[in-house]
Amino acid sequence: MDKPNIMESVEPGSGQYSLKADLRLNAWLLVATVTHVAVRILIKKQTEWSPLTGGMLALAPLIPGLLYVRSWVRFIRGLDELQRRIQLEAFLFAALGTVILGAVASSLNAHGVSTGLLKNGLGLGASFMAMLCFWSIGWGIAKCRYK
Amino acid sequence: MKNRVKELRSAREWSQGELAERLAVSRQTINAIETEKYDPSLPLALKIGKLFKLPVEEIFET
Repeated sequence: MDKPNIMESVEPGSGQYSLKADLRLNAWLLVATVTHVAVRILIKKQTEWSPLTGGMLALAPLIPGLLYVRSWVRFIRGLDELQRRIQLEAFLFAALGTVILGAVASSLNAHGVSTGLLKNGLGLGASFMAMLCFWSIGWGIAKCRYK
Repeated sequence: MKNRVKELRSAREWSQGELAERLAVSRQTINAIETEKYDPSLPLALKIGKLFKLPVEEIFET
């Protein structure tokens, strides 16, 4: 019988951690992060670019980002039913948390309240980081529930 | 939902890991079923029944 994917294989320190499984899942995240940083540096240096060129370049990290999503979808499909449920709960928590955070930040900005780092709303990077944080929390909660 | 998975597994002297492997699920799933924190899907319940050679209703009861 096929062995199901297990989340512990991509969880450092779990005792079942596998670098190969982690890379298979998260390599595109690394590429997306490097692309995001490179694009930011390029855009800052090149001020004579047209807004269209700058905009297109700013969206470049979306390509590895989408491939990262694809690797997650494949990984989740290989999970067993309980683990899949836990991940769906965690992703739902992450999506709702990010939407609420974005709504709160833009609402505060609209009323002139300074929100520091979020003064321009949630950007691509901040949205991703917020989702990652909320997903970790959601995963922890769901794991505890079925422990 | 109450179930006899732990009892049936223990009778065969299988560990949770062994049962998980036979059913192609994670050990966490077996643990959650045994502690009645999670009700398995119908396909998994049927698989459990087939493995223990018992009808599903004799393993799971509402």
